[in-house]
Amino acid sequence: MEVSIALKITVLTKSYGSTQALRGVDLDVRRGEIFGFLGPNGAGKTTTIRCVLDLIHRNGGTVSVLGMDPQENPVAVRARCGYLPGELRLDDAFTVEGQLRYLNRLRHNHADWNYARELARRIDLDLKTPIKNLSKGNKQKVGVVQAFMHRPELLILDEPTAGLDPLVQREVLRIIGEARKAGATIFFSSHNISEVQEVADRVGIIRNGVVVEVAEPSTLINRSLRTARVRFRRPVDSQALLATPGVKLLAQEDGASLLLQVEGEMDGLIKTLAGFPVLDFETERPTLEEVFLTYYGSNQ
Amino acid sequence: MSAIFFNALARMRGQILGWGLGLGLLGFYLMPFYDTLAEQQETIKQLLASYPPELMAFFGNTTVMFTPEGYLGFEYFSLMPVILGIFAVLAGSGLLVGDEESGTLDLVLAHPLSRTELFLGKLLGFIATTVGILILAWLGLVIGRNFSNIDLTAGQLAMPFLSLFGVLLLFGALALLLSMLLPSRRFTASLAGLLLVACYFVTSLARVDDRLTELARFSPLNYYQSSDAMSNMNYTWIAGLLAAAALFAAVAWWRFERRDIRVGGEGGWRIPLPWRRAAPHNR
Repeated sequence: MEVSIALKITVLTKSYGSTQALRGVDLDVRRGEIFGFLGPNGAGKTTTIRCVLDLIHRNGGTVSVLGMDPQENPVAVRARCGYLPGELRLDDAFTVEGQLRYLNRLRHNHADWNYARELARRIDLDLKTPIKNLSKGNKQKVGVVQAFMHRPELLILDEPTAGLDPLVQREVLRIIGEARKAGATIFFSSHNISEVQEVADRVGIIRNGVVVEVAEPSTLINRSLRTARVRFRRPVDSQALLATPGVKLLAQEDGASLLLQVEGEMDGLIKTLAGFPVLDFETERPTLEEVFLTYYGSNQ
Repeated sequence: MSAIFFNALARMRGQILGWGLGLGLLGFYLMPFYDTLAEQQETIKQLLASYPPELMAFFGNTTVMFTPEGYLGFEYFSLMPVILGIFAVLAGSGLLVGDEESGTLDLVLAHPLSRTELFLGKLLGFIATTVGILILAWLGLVIGRNFSNIDLTAGQLAMPFLSLFGVLLLFGALALLLSMLLPSRRFTASLAGLLLVACYFVTSLARVDDRLTELARFSPLNYYQSSDAMSNMNYTWIAGLLAAAALFAAVAWWRFERRDIRVGGEGGWRIPLPWRRAAPHNR
């Protein structure tokens, strides 16, 4: 296996009875990158993550985490990973510090306790508070600290900012960025597509148990549909424009103003427009969210 | 594994104190009453003779209750398998599945410890808790002895608890095994509790109905020795109970190693039959 790959998943399948949750997931996550894993509820994100950590056993395919098969070396794999579950549950009998110290003992005291305190301070988490008194958002902060506190090589984060207020979300994204700078690989799923667009080097989109796209966010955005608004000096016959491959008419306010949808590169449209009396031309890049919705809107 | 063991023990400290102190106080309270009973044995014999034999069967041989061993068997040890059996069934059924259903197992198992370490840590926590409860209960009898004419030694008083320990481990391990096969902790506890009560009735009624004798041989409670253990301990029976408990625990471990950790209803009831295609597992 290439040294540059932190997580390699090949034709991963997983069924629950007659329900096939994963239908052949293929994915490579490079060392040192932030990889965003996108998909709606039930697409297979959490099932993929739980197979990677050997919490559930795959039915087929292969998984390699930092060069090891998690089913053959689960302890060694988990020693080098940090994990934040999507549905985090903590032990109500502990205080925050007690919970973190217990989890640290499970890691054979490999956590950097000063770093843990610093993380708690940065996200405004009181270590003395009993877990049972914490809100959902504050429990999520405990999850963030325990995932990072031993400075793992690979961070697997399932919805890391869920339930956090916007200020803490920003801080968590900064912490993710710092971990990457320190050499860690981050694999995280999220529903918050704008944050994925902001921090991820690459994104994978999973639909119905299959990864349908892996690319850099910018590539996905450039490759996708975008809108173009054109105003002409006088009304024109739009038929020639609409004959251009990849161009569709979205709206025509009058003969001198058109709203077009363009798929792929803009080259064809611009060359066609050269023969028209163009007064103004504007394009809008879609957000990653719009790209994501395009995948799901057209394929569901 | 030590972190899991001490955490399991800490979480069950309430059980140790609740069950142990409760039964210890009961034993402490019962010991001085033996003297009164011995003085009034003729009246009590007449009273007991008026009870139906089916009812008396649940308390064993009552003719010996005017001896210290018989008294303690009748008043204290005869019901212990059911009373503490409830603890064993509840603790065994929730030992791993309790954490799984609460969702905390996912996070714990994402740490560098094997499923075997987790299983053994939890199991040892259950065993230590059971021992703690039995020691507190035994201490109640030992201390109460100072306020009674009962001349049994501390060692003799410990023997029924040893027999009880075997029974409790067996039902705890059975509940643990069932929890690995059945879809929920509640269902497991109900079924294991039903088996416990059924065993108690079969064993007790077999004393008055010979037709149940063969069936009672399959009941673990048939090998519970109550106060008989004070004078004539059958170590083979204890070894048998512990061996059965070890077998149930081993099968439960085997199953735990191979099953998925459930979250929010994932999985379901799927009994692992040998002819079903197993998931690839290279551990």
